[in-house]
Amino acid sequence: MTNSPLPSTKPDPSADRIKVKVVGIGGAGSNVLDRLVLDAAVEVDLVSCNTDVQSLASSVASQKVQLGRTLTRGLGAGGDPEIGFAAAEEAAAEISAAIEGTPLVFIVAGLGGGTGSGAAPLVAKLARERGSLVLACVTLPFSFEGRRRREQASDSLRAIQTYADAVICFENDRMGEIVLPTAGVHDAFGRTDQIIGQCVRSVIDLVQRRGLIRLGFDDLLSALRNHDSRCLFGYAEASGHDRAALAADEALRSPLMDGGSLLPRVAHVLVNITGGTDLTLAEIQSLMQALHHRIADNAQVLFGATVDSRFNGRLGLTVIGSLPAGAFPREEPAPAPAAQIHAAIAPVLPRLAPVAPRAAPVDPPRAPDRFSPPAPAPAAAPGRHDAVRPQPSRASATPPEPTPPTPAPETVYRGRFERSEPTIVDGEDLDVPAFLRKGLKK
Amino acid sequence: MAKNPIIVGLEIGTTKVCVVVAEAAPGNETRILCVGQADSRGVRKGEIVDFDAAHEALRDAIADAESKSDVTIRSAYVGITGGHVTSLNNRGVVHLPGERNEISEEDAAEVKLRAGEVSIPTNNAFLHNFIQQYRVDGRDGVMNPVGMLGHKIEADYHIIHGVRNRIQNTIRLVREVPLEVDDVVFSGLASALAVLDSEQRERGALVIDIGGGTTDYVIYRDGAVHDSGCIAVGGDHITNDISMGLRVPMARAERLKIEEGGAVLGTCLPDEKIHLRGEPGFAARDIEREMLHQVIHYRLREIFELLKKRFDDERHLDYLGAGVILTGGSSQIPGIQHLAEDVFGIPVQPAQTPPLSGLTSALANPQISTALGLVEYARLVQDEHPTEGFWRRMKSRFTRALSSR
Repeated sequence: MTNSPLPSTKPDPSADRIKVKVVGIGGAGSNVLDRLVLDAAVEVDLVSCNTDVQSLASSVASQKVQLGRTLTRGLGAGGDPEIGFAAAEEAAAEISAAIEGTPLVFIVAGLGGGTGSGAAPLVAKLARERGSLVLACVTLPFSFEGRRRREQASDSLRAIQTYADAVICFENDRMGEIVLPTAGVHDAFGRTDQIIGQCVRSVIDLVQRRGLIRLGFDDLLSALRNHDSRCLFGYAEASGHDRAALAADEALRSPLMDGGSLLPRVAHVLVNITGGTDLTLAEIQSLMQALHHRIADNAQVLFGATVDSRFNGRLGLTVIGSLPAGAFPREEPAPAPAAQIHAAIAPVLPRLAPVAPRAAPVDPPRAPDRFSPPAPAPAAAPGRHDAVRPQPSRASATPPEPTPPTPAPETVYRGRFERSEPTIVDGEDLDVPAFLRKGLKK
Repeated sequence: MAKNPIIVGLEIGTTKVCVVVAEAAPGNETRILCVGQADSRGVRKGEIVDFDAAHEALRDAIADAESKSDVTIRSAYVGITGGHVTSLNNRGVVHLPGERNEISEEDAAEVKLRAGEVSIPTNNAFLHNFIQQYRVDGRDGVMNPVGMLGHKIEADYHIIHGVRNRIQNTIRLVREVPLEVDDVVFSGLASALAVLDSEQRERGALVIDIGGGTTDYVIYRDGAVHDSGCIAVGGDHITNDISMGLRVPMARAERLKIEEGGAVLGTCLPDEKIHLRGEPGFAARDIEREMLHQVIHYRLREIFELLKKRFDDERHLDYLGAGVILTGGSSQIPGIQHLAEDVFGIPVQPAQTPPLSGLTSALANPQISTALGLVEYARLVQDEHPTEGFWRRMKSRFTRALSSR
């Protein structure tokens, strides 16, 4: 951030550890915090903010802030961001006290619901005002959750973007592809929490650990700023003699990258390799070569390597890529596919219809078995995103059958532009007549 | 045959290829000699998709211009557009070494260099960079820092870039004719130059050029470009929408758009119909006028809303003292100004006849504002570098031609 108004708070490269606080907001946020603790991931302070007292009580965070003590009286925000916002406003002093004097604040929230969408922008603002650098890691709701939630989420995302220095944004739709269609609901949400946890962890590692080849916060920001803010994220750990190849393969095939098929379109890629003292140059070379084969020639690659003795014998690879605006596949946020998903899952899960949590695999997951690894004890962290709260007992009692292959992506005739390069802005194909698209929305 | 230097502006648009031939008369006057046009082929969304067809259309237009003006065209300023053209603002900073505090020419050059150091995708090329302002020790609004005292100078630049290969395609096409390319210019910028006078640039204005294949826009604030870009949606899309929405052939749709189009809803009589006469292969029928207007309305509204969303700074609109100015072929659709006013919330006006002399009757046509602007751009550039006069350029071109043999 060359134009940062707060240059004095920039992480000092010479400092060994930068103080980081992770603030989990709402149900989804606190789940990720639980996951971070569970995986014994990073040595950071965790702050949990929630309107829901029950969920707050079960949180493992060291600091807890109850939002809306008088407004919601310990209940949730009821899916209304305005209540979430007001609740956070009520607790503004407490939040400020919790994040005071922290150079880097990491906000984790699930957007679309009440607490996450309402409170996260305010927390970002407060942190910014306290002179912290603010990074946000948020999830967008499943498309089957409906337009309203999606709109709430995108409004909130926009608000967060104005305050946060960088926003990493995960689409639940895409996250759903990570889990096997037959996996239990618990498992599925535990898994997505874990992925977000990994992301938080690796980003914090990136700025905290002393790098062999340093990747600074500035690099991170330049990779994440000015883009669609929907990023591709891949993380893998591997050990053994061909660990470099294994890690590259797994990280780059992550479903969050659409099985790697979105990689050629990224504009910026941030790669961080973490290894023990036995990390060799040849390994780094082979990793980077594997990466370069898959990305476009013109993509900007930011590369860093960290040596950590805890990683002896293992190798971790983090890949964060940002897509240029509008590069996301067009079926993604368009309203129509949501309806299709509904149609596709309705017969399969009649009882869960409104909140069917595993409807997400729009495409049959590509390499899901790669992602069955160290996901332990999902029951320990009753995974639920504040957006979706299925009744777990019921859901796990009906192990859903594999969803039938979804209908082919909608084929709208584009007339004269049928064969020309599509013009896609914000996920909408502008070559399709406007009145058709607007008509749909009404 | 004209005695004064000839300036040619060439726009290879989606609908038509337009060549404006002008004469740089003594003084500051530009005299337009003629406007050559030909229907464009092989161009979609402002970019060449069929090289041979586009080549033919270009030759036709050049031939038209040459025969009208009795001038042999040797080189041209060429307009570039397409969805790949993007822009950004960047600030360069230079700190003067401790003991020195007078800003020199070198410092100004250095800060310009720094401001230009932005990461654009490697297969992109810079089209333009314009100085917006200098800041000396944090003070805004310095126009020329050389000679001032200060420790830190900053320069805000507006940078326009596009995909190199796509720009090269256009250049190659022009070279094939064969014509020399004097410079490539972003079409939206050219249009803005054509339709704005310096007073409007100073007050701030948004120029939207809705052409056949693309919509280009440029925002001027305080006399400098602050935002610019292109959306690959234009009049062609309207025609396509009509053709699909009303189930009429493309040529019919184009005619309907021009003759009966309208961008505002609720202006027709209830149940007002437009009669479509039968043609071989097309049975006569009536269509509802309101329906036609709806199709156009939604498309244009969407374009304006997209533009509004795209501005890098929402407050831009508050600074536009001269309002919004619409140009380009599609800006002739009746009611479009009301629609734009509705979206942007500030006064909108059609492009005025540019302050040029010559064939003024032809100049009122918003379709040619880009090509006119290219001529205007050429004048501006030549004013900035007066040393490189006409003869010198001819000479260097000559030597280049000889050495390449």
